[in-house]
Amino acid sequence: MVKSPTLRLLVGLLVTLAAVAVYSWYTLRQLNGLRQLQTDTIDRNRRDSLQLLRMQNDLSQIGLALRDMASGGEPYGIAAYENELAGKRADLEDALKTEARLSPDNRSPQQQKELTNALRQFWQTTGETFAFAKAGQEKRAQQLAATTLPAQQSALASVVARLLFKNNEAEEQAAARVAIIYNRVGRNIYAFLAAMLVGIILTSLYLIDSIKRLFAEVESLSQQRRILAAKLITVQEEVLRSVSRELHDEFGQILTAVGAMLGRAERKGLPPDSPLRAELTEVRQITQETLEKMRALSQMLHPAVLDDYGLVKGLDWYTQLFQKQTGIETTLDVNGDIQRITGQAAIHCFRIVQEALNNAAKHAKTMRAEVSLDFGPDQLTAAVRDYGVGIVQDRKAREPGLGLVAMKERAELLRGSLSVEKALGGGTVVKLHLPLPQEEGQAYLTQQRQEAQTATHD
Amino acid sequence: MERRKFLSGCFGATLLGAEAAPGFRFTDITQSSGIHFNHHSGAFGKKYLPETLGPGCAFIDYDNDGFQDILFIDGMDWPGHPHGGRHGSLRLYRNNRNGTFTDVTRQAGLDVELYGLGIAVGDYNNDGFTDIYVTTVGQNRLFRNTGKGRFVDVTRQSGLGGRRSFSTSSLWFDYDRDGYLDLFVCNYVRWSPEVDIFCSADGKQKSYCTPEAYHGTTCWLFRNRGDGTFEDVTASAGLFDSSSKSLGVAVLDYDNDNWLDLFVANDTQPNKLYRNQRNGTFQEVALRAGIAFSADGKARAGMGVDVADFDNSGRSSVVITNFDREMLALYRGSKNGEFKDLAPGSNLGPATLHSLGFGCFFFDADLDGNLDLLVVNGHIDDVVQRVTDTPYAQRPHLFLNGGSGKLHDVADRLGGGFANPKIGRGAAYGDIDNDGDLDVLITTNRGPAYLYRNDQLSGNRSVRFRLVGTKSNRSGIGALVRIFYGDLKGSRRVKSGSSYLSQSELPVTFGVGRHKVVDRAVIEWPSGRVEEFKNLVAGRAYIATEGKGIREGW
Repeated sequence: MVKSPTLRLLVGLLVTLAAVAVYSWYTLRQLNGLRQLQTDTIDRNRRDSLQLLRMQNDLSQIGLALRDMASGGEPYGIAAYENELAGKRADLEDALKTEARLSPDNRSPQQQKELTNALRQFWQTTGETFAFAKAGQEKRAQQLAATTLPAQQSALASVVARLLFKNNEAEEQAAARVAIIYNRVGRNIYAFLAAMLVGIILTSLYLIDSIKRLFAEVESLSQQRRILAAKLITVQEEVLRSVSRELHDEFGQILTAVGAMLGRAERKGLPPDSPLRAELTEVRQITQETLEKMRALSQMLHPAVLDDYGLVKGLDWYTQLFQKQTGIETTLDVNGDIQRITGQAAIHCFRIVQEALNNAAKHAKTMRAEVSLDFGPDQLTAAVRDYGVGIVQDRKAREPGLGLVAMKERAELLRGSLSVEKALGGGTVVKLHLPLPQEEGQAYLTQQRQEAQTATHD
Repeated sequence: MERRKFLSGCFGATLLGAEAAPGFRFTDITQSSGIHFNHHSGAFGKKYLPETLGPGCAFIDYDNDGFQDILFIDGMDWPGHPHGGRHGSLRLYRNNRNGTFTDVTRQAGLDVELYGLGIAVGDYNNDGFTDIYVTTVGQNRLFRNTGKGRFVDVTRQSGLGGRRSFSTSSLWFDYDRDGYLDLFVCNYVRWSPEVDIFCSADGKQKSYCTPEAYHGTTCWLFRNRGDGTFEDVTASAGLFDSSSKSLGVAVLDYDNDNWLDLFVANDTQPNKLYRNQRNGTFQEVALRAGIAFSADGKARAGMGVDVADFDNSGRSSVVITNFDREMLALYRGSKNGEFKDLAPGSNLGPATLHSLGFGCFFFDADLDGNLDLLVVNGHIDDVVQRVTDTPYAQRPHLFLNGGSGKLHDVADRLGGGFANPKIGRGAAYGDIDNDGDLDVLITTNRGPAYLYRNDQLSGNRSVRFRLVGTKSNRSGIGALVRIFYGDLKGSRRVKSGSSYLSQSELPVTFGVGRHKVVDRAVIEWPSGRVEEFKNLVAGRAYIATEGKGIREGW
């Protein structure tokens, strides 16, 4: 008996689902971490860097303006630059405010202070410069624009550049961490895929093996059942045959002898009106009737005609007998190249037709039945058709009768097939398809017989 | 039923938008009218930056005959040119009033040596004759119109001398409302042949540098003292800005206070909007107004600019042409003083994304009462064709405004070869034949000028106004004319500047479609005087003299 794989498969499924759940949870956690890293660190850094770049741009433009102021190339004097620098200052301060809001966590208060101080100093000197310019001290203003202011501007620019550098560093670190997470997630995906693959392969192998074993079991059961059925049917047929032969040969001889002896006793000088004679005659008549009944029984148990003349003659005899016994008009129609079929094939085929006709008589309420034998080139089709109520419908709802099971078994024993169908125009048709032995026909039949005999002696 | 009507309406609109004839046609009359101007950039392989920028053009009625004459400005050979000697000059073409022009440069005294770029015209001395200011690489020039068909170079006498620069667009306007036209001049970058930098697009040959290579320089504002002389008030007016690289300028009244403000288009630097503070100083508010940078915060390569009441709402809309891969900008003003760029969200953006625009102006090409938009395009360097898929010569755009706010480029349906690719630079409009519609003048870099006559096909009419200031400046520059007809309205300003290096005619033209009568016209003079005239007839031209009423005629 094979063990059912269901439990093991269910356990496997549960384990797989648990693995998927755990893996999903872990991956989502990794991705969340990644998202946080990106929004918190990288995006913020990037936006902060943009503000620092804006400041750097402003500072470089201020640097250019300072150079112009120092060179005194324009006819307007240094005071004219106040508006331009005020514009740059407004933009710088806006950038600074935005930058302070975005500044990365890793910035030290020291650095922030450095930036604020550098800016304060620069604007203080700028204010002084324009104050000198407005007070008419153009030379002093120009000197400041040429010396102090550029120095302070470049100090400021270098603070901003350092901050940019730091941001860049932080960004690189974050990028490295992102790369690590990506690698880890990637490895996990590969591991998960590999585990899934192994799981799928193992499950499939287990399933295939289970199914194979189940099929083997079913096959072997079916084989045993077939052998058993064959044995049963063969034994039955052998018993019937042997009883039939015993009846015919032994008891027939005895009864024939008794009849002959009674005839002789009759003739041995008994007066014609002797009451003994009358009784003897009566006994002889009873013996004769018994002999006939016994012969008929013997035929019924195993029609000797099958052994002697084959299937066609056997069926011819039986259909006539059937018509006589049941009153159902029964015909036999034989087509094709008639072959002589004897032995197991003949008896099984005969029994199938017999059972079909009996069924028709019992259930179909028919007045007519047709038996046909069609000899094809390699197959024999035996059909029994009645014109009754149709057994198919009746049988469908219920378990198939034992008779039908036996018919199918017999058909299988002969490597043939049996079908029970509704006939066109009402009634039922039972069809038996039987492969006809070709060149190796005799061997086939012999083998059949041998098989049956082996089964009997087992 | 309703739905069917709606659907057919939609279809109708689509068909009109996509298929309907534009309602007018352009005829190229350059040759037949006797105009033979070919720009000479002086290029001889050194790829000097100014070579690629010019030239400008202008409509000017210099002889007061009521017919617009045409003025071109040319370049010249650079010092060091191997076969040098060809000197540049202005080229003045007098309108013969019969569709032809005569070159009167020499007679007019304008045959002078200069490397010219731009032109602005206006009557700075209020003598009734329109004068000329030209920008150059070097010393800009002021030419006074003597009224006898001649011009006199008064640069030195007027106090405008001794200023060498690389000037581009310029305009006349009366910022202090003293009745005399003041002068605003855009300067580009600090460049001279001595400080020329080597730039290369393909890594081998020299190509024209972008302005990033050079230091910016301030624009100038010269106040007209009223005695024929000017003083430099750049710094005291708060306009000094050494970082600007300016190419285009236009006047507008951004805050509707009747004091003229200025918009300056800068190349690779933020644009500037100078609000007139009514005390002789300006405040720069472009950033606050949302017009300094593109919507994504980028300083674009502003070239040409124009301002007009594009949607007949009474508020100013600003068009700015930019580099290729930077769409044109069409800023619409709002009540709160902020501008919104309509180009990225409309078909205007994609249509201009691959054009390098220069000259541009709003004008009512089909006289339907809605201002249309003309843009001329062309790249700065022929190298661009070898290193990218951008063409050197590019087709102009003419976007028709159907009034629904949707614009359709009809350039290739106007005929006259208008849509042929050009290396477009200057562009101006003027009614050369006084038939009521606006003809178009285009200049090309190192190529010919084109004069396209506008031929109306739809029967639309216009009303034209020529303004003569008395208390205000004589040219009427800065005056706002508003008209009301049916339930429609519109407004136009008499202006100098706008477009690129160019100036369109001073008279204002209103298309009124099939309307026969203009119920009301209101003129707001720069002096502050407001005059109203009723029942003007469509299809006619009027002369309005400040304080003296209006009369039909020209």
